[in-house]
Amino acid sequence: MFVLIAGGGRTGAQLAVLLTAQNHEVHLIEHRRDILARLHRELPTEIIYEGHPTDPQLLEQAGIQRAEVMAACTSNDADNLVLCFLARTRYNVPRTIARIYNPRNAWLFDQKFHVDAAINQSDILASLIEEEMSPGAMMTLLKLRRGEYSLVEEKIPPGARAIGIAIKDLALPQQCVIAAILRDGQIVLPRGLTELEEGDEVLAITDRPGAVELAKLLAPPD
Amino acid sequence: MNMIIVGCGRIGGELAYRLYLQGHQVAVIDQVDDAFNNLHPEFRGRTIEGDALNRDVLQRAGIEQAGGLAAVTNSDSINAVIAHVARTVFHVPNVIVRNYEARWRLIHEVFDLQTVSSTVWGAQRMEELLYSADPRPVFSAGNGEVDVYETVVPRTWQGHTLADLLGVNHCLPVALTRAGRALLPAPETRLETGDILHISATFEGIEALRQRLTQTQEK
Repeated sequence: MFVLIAGGGRTGAQLAVLLTAQNHEVHLIEHRRDILARLHRELPTEIIYEGHPTDPQLLEQAGIQRAEVMAACTSNDADNLVLCFLARTRYNVPRTIARIYNPRNAWLFDQKFHVDAAINQSDILASLIEEEMSPGAMMTLLKLRRGEYSLVEEKIPPGARAIGIAIKDLALPQQCVIAAILRDGQIVLPRGLTELEEGDEVLAITDRPGAVELAKLLAPPD
Repeated sequence: MNMIIVGCGRIGGELAYRLYLQGHQVAVIDQVDDAFNNLHPEFRGRTIEGDALNRDVLQRAGIEQAGGLAAVTNSDSINAVIAHVARTVFHVPNVIVRNYEARWRLIHEVFDLQTVSSTVWGAQRMEELLYSADPRPVFSAGNGEVDVYETVVPRTWQGHTLADLLGVNHCLPVALTRAGRALLPAPETRLETGDILHISATFEGIEALRQRLTQTQEK
C-alpha cells in the first residue's frame, strides 16, 4: 500500500518506521528543521519530503495523486483537516486518517472534512491510564472498535467465587462472552457446562463496564 | 447585521471598524488578547479571546445568528477550516476568507470559498504602477487576475483593425470611445488616432498589448 504521511513528529515518524518495516510504500512530509535532522537518521532519505505539509505543490511531488491512504499526523488540527479535505476532493485518495491534536477540536473531525477515521490521541491515552488504575490482574490483549470493546485475559486466583461454577450459571455481564480458557497450557473452548478451575486463564471479549463486572466475578471473595 | 471577524491583525482590525461605522454588530475573535490593540480606539463591538476552532468560542461570538463571517487570520488552514464550518455547519450566508500566502491559494479554491488575496493583489497592483501608466488600469476584477484598462490609440495604429491590435490571447475589447461617444467595437473596427479603448485583460495580456502599442506599424 502507498501511504502519504503528513507531519514527522513522534506519531508520524513512528508510523513511517512501522509501515516501512511491513514493506508498505511510505512518503513523509515535514518542514521543521530540527525534526528533519532526526528523521534523516531514522528513515531512508528518499522517502522524506522537506516542506510544509499543506503546500499543494509539495503534496503532488510526494505523490498524493496515487496515495491509497492519507495519514494527517501534524500537530496542527487545521492543517490535518485541510489535508484530509484536499486529499479526498482534489486527489480522490480513498482513505483519510487524521490525528486530533487538541481534543476540544474533535467535533470537526468527521465527514465535514472527509476524515474517514480520527485518532484522538489524548482520549485514548487517558482511557488507557484510567484502565491501568483499576485494580485486579486483568490484562487487555486487544482493543476492538477503537477501545469500545476489548479482548481481556484474567487468571482465576485461589478462592475465587467463580471456581466450580458452570459458565451458564455464571452471572456474566450483558456485553461479555468468554471466548477461551487456557488450562495447563491447553486451550479449552468453553461451553455452557464448562466449569472454571483455579489457575484458569480466561479470555473474554467485553465492553468497558462489562470488564469491571467480570473482574469482580473472577476475584477472590473478600 | 451580525458580523464575525476571526483574526484581529491589521486587516481584521480595519474591517471591524469599517463594519462598525456602517452600523453592524461586530464580534471579533482572536487567540491573543494583545491582538485587540489593533482595533480602532472608537470601535464598539464584542471581542472574544479564544481559539476559533473551538465550537464554544464560535457560539459565544454568535455564529448561529451571524449574517456574515470573515476569516482573516495569518493561517490559510485555519481560515479555510473556519470558513468551511461557518458555511456548512452554521449556514452563515456570507463567508469570506483571506488568502495569506500566495501558494496556499489552491486550498481556498478546493473549498470553493470566496477569497481575497490581499498580498498578491497588493503586490500586483504595485507592479503595474511601477511600469508605464499606459494602458492604465481602471477596474480590477477578482483578485486582480483580470483588470480593465484604458488606453489612447497612438498614431502608429491609425487605420489598423482592433483585432490586429489586441491579438488573440488574454485581451478582450470592452468599449471604444470616439469623439465622446462610446460603442461596442467589433474585431474588424478600424482604429483612429485618439480613440479611447477600454480593454479587459490578464496580466500577460496587457504586457503583450503594451509592447504592440509601442511598436511602429508598417502599413
